Amino acid sequence: MSTVTIEPLLRYLRRERPLCRCRTKILKPSSLNFSPKLLSNGANTSFCNFKPRRPHIIRASSTDTALLETFKSTDGFFKETFPLTLTQMVEGKIFIRLDKDQNQQCWQLSVGCSLPGKWILHWGVSYVDDVGSEWDQPPKSMRPPGSVCIKDYAMETPLKKSSDGEIFHEVKINLDPKSSIAAINFVLKDEETGAWYQHRGRDFKMPLVDYLRNDGKVAGAKRGFNLWSGFFLPKMLFKAKELPSNDQGSSSESKGATQENRQVEGFYEEHPIAKQVVIQNSATVSVTKCPKTAKNLLYLETDLPGKVVVHWGVCRDDAKNWEIPAGPYPPETTVFKNKALRTPLQPKDGGNGCSGLFTLDQEFVGFLFVLKLNEDTWLKCKKNDFHIPLSSSGSLPAQPGQGQSEGALVSEKTVEANQEVSQTASSKGIINDIRNLVNGISSRRRTKKKEAQESILHEIEKLAAEAYSIFRNSIPTFVSESEPQETPKICSGTGTGFEILLQGFNWESHKSGRWYMELKEKAVEISSLGFNVIWLPPPTESVSPEGYMPKDLYNLNSRYGSIDELKHLVKSLHEVGLKVLGDAVLNHRCAHFQNQNGVWNIFGGRLNWDERAIVADDPHFQGRGNKSSGDNFHAAPNIDHSQDFVRKDLKEWLCWLRDEIGYDGWRLDFARGFWGGYVKDYIDATEPYFAVGEYWDSLSYTCGEMDHNQDAHRQRIIDWINATNGTAGAFDVTTKGILHSALERCEYWRLSDKKGKPPGVVGWWPSRAVTFIENHDTGSTQGHWRFPSGKEMQGYAYILTHPGTPAVFYDHIFSHYQSEIASLISIRNRNKVHCRSTVKITKAERDVYAAIIDEKVAMKMGPGHYEPPRESQSWSVAIEAKDYKVWEAS
Amino acid sequence: MEVSVIGSSQAAICKSELVNKELRFCFPRRNSTNVSFFDSRTRWRRNSGLHFTLNAIQTEPVLSDDLSTRGCASRSKSLDDVRLYVGLPLDAVSDCNSINHARAISVGLKALKLLGVEGVEMAVWWGIAEKEAMGKYEWEGYLNLAKMVQSAGLKLHVSFCFHANEQPKIPLPEWVSRIGESEPGIFFADRSGHHLRECLSLAVDDLPVLNGKTAVQVYQEFCKSFKSSFSHLMGSTITGITMGLGPNGELRYPSYRGVVKSGKIHGVGEFQCYDKNMLNLLKQHAEAMGNPLWGLGGPHDAPSYNQLPNFNSFFKDHGGSWESPYGYFFLSWYSSQLLSHGNRLLSLASTEFGDTTVTIYGKVPLMHHWYKTRTHPSELTAGFYNTENRDGYGAVAEMFARNSCKMILPGMDLSDKHQPQGSLSSPELLLAQIRTACRKYGVDVSGQNSLVSKSPHHFEQMKKNVSGENVVDLFTYQRMGAEFFSPEHFPAFTEFVRSFNQPEKHADDLPEEEEEVAESLQTSTESSIQMQAS
Repeated sequence: MSTVTIEPLLRYLRRERPLCRCRTKILKPSSLNFSPKLLSNGANTSFCNFKPRRPHIIRASSTDTALLETFKSTDGFFKETFPLTLTQMVEGKIFIRLDKDQNQQCWQLSVGCSLPGKWILHWGVSYVDDVGSEWDQPPKSMRPPGSVCIKDYAMETPLKKSSDGEIFHEVKINLDPKSSIAAINFVLKDEETGAWYQHRGRDFKMPLVDYLRNDGKVAGAKRGFNLWSGFFLPKMLFKAKELPSNDQGSSSESKGATQENRQVEGFYEEHPIAKQVVIQNSATVSVTKCPKTAKNLLYLETDLPGKVVVHWGVCRDDAKNWEIPAGPYPPETTVFKNKALRTPLQPKDGGNGCSGLFTLDQEFVGFLFVLKLNEDTWLKCKKNDFHIPLSSSGSLPAQPGQGQSEGALVSEKTVEANQEVSQTASSKGIINDIRNLVNGISSRRRTKKKEAQESILHEIEKLAAEAYSIFRNSIPTFVSESEPQETPKICSGTGTGFEILLQGFNWESHKSGRWYMELKEKAVEISSLGFNVIWLPPPTESVSPEGYMPKDLYNLNSRYGSIDELKHLVKSLHEVGLKVLGDAVLNHRCAHFQNQNGVWNIFGGRLNWDERAIVADDPHFQGRGNKSSGDNFHAAPNIDHSQDFVRKDLKEWLCWLRDEIGYDGWRLDFARGFWGGYVKDYIDATEPYFAVGEYWDSLSYTCGEMDHNQDAHRQRIIDWINATNGTAGAFDVTTKGILHSALERCEYWRLSDKKGKPPGVVGWWPSRAVTFIENHDTGSTQGHWRFPSGKEMQGYAYILTHPGTPAVFYDHIFSHYQSEIASLISIRNRNKVHCRSTVKITKAERDVYAAIIDEKVAMKMGPGHYEPPRESQSWSVAIEAKDYKVWEAS
Repeated sequence: MEVSVIGSSQAAICKSELVNKELRFCFPRRNSTNVSFFDSRTRWRRNSGLHFTLNAIQTEPVLSDDLSTRGCASRSKSLDDVRLYVGLPLDAVSDCNSINHARAISVGLKALKLLGVEGVEMAVWWGIAEKEAMGKYEWEGYLNLAKMVQSAGLKLHVSFCFHANEQPKIPLPEWVSRIGESEPGIFFADRSGHHLRECLSLAVDDLPVLNGKTAVQVYQEFCKSFKSSFSHLMGSTITGITMGLGPNGELRYPSYRGVVKSGKIHGVGEFQCYDKNMLNLLKQHAEAMGNPLWGLGGPHDAPSYNQLPNFNSFFKDHGGSWESPYGYFFLSWYSSQLLSHGNRLLSLASTEFGDTTVTIYGKVPLMHHWYKTRTHPSELTAGFYNTENRDGYGAVAEMFARNSCKMILPGMDLSDKHQPQGSLSSPELLLAQIRTACRKYGVDVSGQNSLVSKSPHHFEQMKKNVSGENVVDLFTYQRMGAEFFSPEHFPAFTEFVRSFNQPEKHADDLPEEEEEVAESLQTSTESSIQMQAS
């Protein structure tokens, strides 16, 4: 059993928070970095490798100064400690145990992990009568304290440090034997790294009851069992026992010998797990002059464990050309290919680590070295050799040739964060080929050379293919040979530019069964509050009452009301001047029927698609389409938009919605799920007045704290908008996230990016940013990512005065905030602030943020003081409330 | 080998750097198992052993740098001396100053680098870098892109684009468009008075129409700002700059509207002398010549855009008014205006960048339609007074020589036999004529293709146009994008590059080269070891 390997697998789940992106996790088994400025981001450091080499420049940086002082005070010589960062794969185990608690009353499932980390159990249950492999949320009684609901199908429970072990983490879940829970499904997540740990690429599944029946109709379940039975059988102990509550047990005719009415008795299993851990060591180098011989004595010590070999040489000038000095050398030194010397360091007496002493002639100005731990593990100074100056003249502290500007680079280089990662990843792929090439060249054998060249060509082909696929998925930029394309008239992405959206429902709106009627009564009020666009809930028949699990797209009788009520509502909204957005759930669709394997993947209704309409890369639904062009939503079959017939049908459907219901535009659900280029297709076909996509993934966090720079996050959203060719806007999740941190922690400086612009999507592409602070997922009764409580008005003061298209959440406008929000809306409308308005950030400090928009509106938020400058224009206060204030130019 | 032990991306890059050098020389020939090698290069390579070492340590390609700047002067170049560049997507930097398709570009750059391409061309748009207000420059996007290029170990050729682009849509600066709304006279206009808002009329070069500044002043400040923002890359990564001279960056009038479909017969285009300021100039000129009535407008008997030369009487091969004294008057004025415009901008650029090692280029269009007629109407409407009995390109070449600029000629992929039937077009003859003029005045020629094409004859034509007598100093392949990397196109391009880099001699003809091959290979091997050791 324990030979089963577990690989940390990247897995995107929908909409949970925190959504961890693990892109930077593509690491090699053993990577080494040394950086004098501790722990810089690997991707960034790789950039400074390409900085042009500059001659030594003495910089007045604090490190340098300090070192120069040290150097003077210690009698003309050098001492510095270099931190050494070593990334290592550590191995541990995941423990899964099922047993009875002390009272022998309840069954208890324990999941533990022996590695350090911030472990989260992400789990859900399957019920006996479940079909398919969707998860359900466990009953309340099962949820350990500290659990967080993830949508309606999963829980997240942190593992706690158990008292007996040092680093052992564990979570215990109590099981109710009477419940009809068939299995517990889980994956383990490390919040430190964002990595997911699964079992062979699938969820762990802990079957609790042998619920398998052979009536043939629950083949979905059978499949699940078959998959796992082999895996669990050897250590599972079954006990035949009557279980009154489990009436399914009576009709028993299972395969195998005596598997009848069995219940799990106990279970224990371990899985190996590996995780990358950063280990910090250091090396100290000191140089002194031997008064007798006038030679330099260099002492190198490090706390690195194990055998350390110094691979070293000396140089005569700043060019740092390696040279081998004349002997004598320290003991055990060997000459390496006439290029360098290798000296093993001697273990220190009674302590950890090792050290070595080198005697060097005066004539050399520098000592160059790298540390070699084993054949594959070298430690360098920021990917350069360590360089230790030996003479006092012109000596600089050990700096890599091009290390000086790292700080600057780090701050500049975030736009391409994605690209850098991929660059790193694929350059590793190249390295082998290049090695082959170099080998081939050196061997002088033509055949080998040829092979090597072929491998380079192969690599080129691979790169070209990659570039092609990315380019193809973005806006076509090439000159078309045959048909010069007309530049599309873009307006659906922005509307008129003066839109103010209302989300016209919340998570509970379906409950009354007559939401359309209720909303209709509010139409006049909504319009008079200053809104001009309203977003209605998804209108189709749906497996879930909220409408996000659509089934028959042409059946518009939902829990919100009937199709006729919807038509009346839209008509009334139009009458009061509101444009209406339909919530189009295009990513997934629930099936009507099972296929011959019992998998729910045959659709009914007017769009009676089969498996070919389902993406192929979600094993749950046995789709026979192409691979998904985006992330998968695991709870329902994901539609394969690459199929022409699917797109044709969806376009027809959207056009029908426009014509039949009168929708003016779309809010696109789970836009991460498929390529933005298809969205463009749909938008082009339906010519909406306004369209906005929900592209929601996680912001970047370091050690649990949100990074100031969220450029990578907003870039992903912008990439999506770009893929739609700008035909749709997108919810500015970045801005919401940054507002969270800024308001919650009183860190208003976060609201300006390094260029002095707003840090969200709205700072980069304001006309396509739909700013919001809350929606039915983040807030309402779900609360997956709720805006800091009590700070909502500051959020609205921000989005309603700033460029972008602001969206107000239903719960907020129909609350005690109504008059304040209405005032802000009227300020926006009165001053004609629009989605492309200019914003000048005048203050972004710890406790106050202030900006002037279009030179017509000034606003500040936060407890700090701010008054707009009164030299050029005079300002009058338009609204003043707790922690925010807005002025208008008068 | 120790090469692999340091698994850093940096190591990979330095190595690919190294590999490129190798690739340039060691691609196996088609139909040959021998490694072909080239004598003129061997010496160079030996010398370069030391460079390699430096290179490997510093990860900065010093070597090719030196070469490219030094190499320009020499005239005896062979095929593999052509420096090959590839154009980046036109919209690589978006109007919000972020990099479009950054990942694709980064991957693409790597592929190009491995392929042995020397550099890339980056279009720098006026409408993006100085988008919002006059003098408010936003270089960040371009700086980031340049940094990507530099990181990939490639050179950069910068093209200033003072024009707007249709597809992808890149407009002129917002503030210029705003001025143009109230003052459309800053744009060219055709006979029907329709203003073309693609670039500024050359008549405003010296008129203070842009918030009190002349167009030339605005261009100049743009160059200055660029230079100071990119000073750290000048001469190292940035090796050349193309000055934008008009529509599509080319030295011409916008005599054609929109994109004309290939494979269709072009009309003759229209004269663009009808904006307020051009008419003023024409009027003054006519009065000075003593013929004030000729200064009231352009030729009344010229056809319109898509009409054929014979449609009206101006371009008639025989007895057309182009041969009349009026024709001479108008055409010489019209073409001289273009020439002085080119001179103003190129001298501006060479002055501005004179203290750097960057070479300045200007692009001259290949108006090859109707070349086989006597009148060459396409060239005339575009502003080149080149007819059967008058050479219009000598003066252009002379103007380039005067400003020490090199000339970019597009359309090196076009061949006569693939022109539409009956179009009387001849890209090959026109190219030859311009090249002759350039030779005469000592102007180096750089080549470009007109489009990304999958048909083999384009590549054959390009090869022909850059080899043998047809010396080019630089060839910029236009341009990177989905189609460029598509499976239908990229293999052909790879072939093309490989043929670029390898001589057309059979390896068996060079028996004595064998030792040297080995020797130089040895050199580079050592250098790679050294890189390891160091």
